[in-house]
Amino acid sequence: MNASEIKRIMLRSLDNDADPSEVAEIVERETGSVDFKAGFSDRVLAKLAKPGMAVVREVDFIRSMNIVFYRIAITGVAAIVLLLISIFLMEGSLSFNSFLGLSGTNDDSIVYLLTGN
Amino acid sequence: MINEPYNAADDGKLIQASLDGDTKAFDVIVNRYRKMVARTVKGMLGDSVYAEDVGQDVFIKLYHSLQDFRGEARLSTYIQKIAVNLTLNEIKRRKRFFSTFSQKGNNEMYEYEVPDIDTQERREAAEIVNKALQAMDPKFRVIITMRMLQGYSTKETAEILDLPLGTVLSRLSRAQEQLKTILKKL
Repeated sequence: MNASEIKRIMLRSLDNDADPSEVAEIVERETGSVDFKAGFSDRVLAKLAKPGMAVVREVDFIRSMNIVFYRIAITGVAAIVLLLISIFLMEGSLSFNSFLGLSGTNDDSIVYLLTGN
Repeated sequence: MINEPYNAADDGKLIQASLDGDTKAFDVIVNRYRKMVARTVKGMLGDSVYAEDVGQDVFIKLYHSLQDFRGEARLSTYIQKIAVNLTLNEIKRRKRFFSTFSQKGNNEMYEYEVPDIDTQERREAAEIVNKALQAMDPKFRVIITMRMLQGYSTKETAEILDLPLGTVLSRLSRAQEQLKTILKKL
């Protein structure tokens, strides 16, 4: 079967009046049978026998968490970098006091702020 | 316990035996439906390295949900629903991953393996089918997979996808338009 013929059959499969089972048979005959590699059921049973696979539903959750983690991590690192840059520009250094917002202050003004004297 | 050849036993007996811990019975279920699952998973993911993993996950999920299977629908429909859901989840997962970390397009998300097909003509035909399917929007890809590879009617497709019949009919029409455009480029 040439390329244009298989394309025609593909489009025909989506016609509402087409017989899908007949089309599926033709496609399978012309493109070869689709299957997993030999030993597929053995691999499934081996996975089921593994104690860790009893919690296979957790794998989906962990996979999703990995994606969420990367997204949050990238955003978080970007936010931290911006914060550091803004502190450096405002305070002129990245010392511990700069992080606490205590640079440029002296003890007297702190006492005054606390006591009012 | 099954008192007849396992391959001759019906799905109900095999399910009950599997629930009783008979792994041979579940092995027969896997072998009975593996090609059906392969058509869905490979049709939607391509003949990729991920297809085998998703295929295995389908049967593992089936095994863990056998006690929930009430027998209201056929076992094949139940398995097909699991296969479609897991495959769509995989497509979404890969799409999210590649949209975050890679400039690759959707069509390049999977590493294709060369299908083990006997003749050049069949290989070319399989390549056209595979490329066209992978270029389609996933919501249309699933429809064409159900129709063209599985041979399901519109009603059966709607039941498996949990969609109203009208939605499936509308998607069939839109899928055909998209497929026409894609096939012109191949």
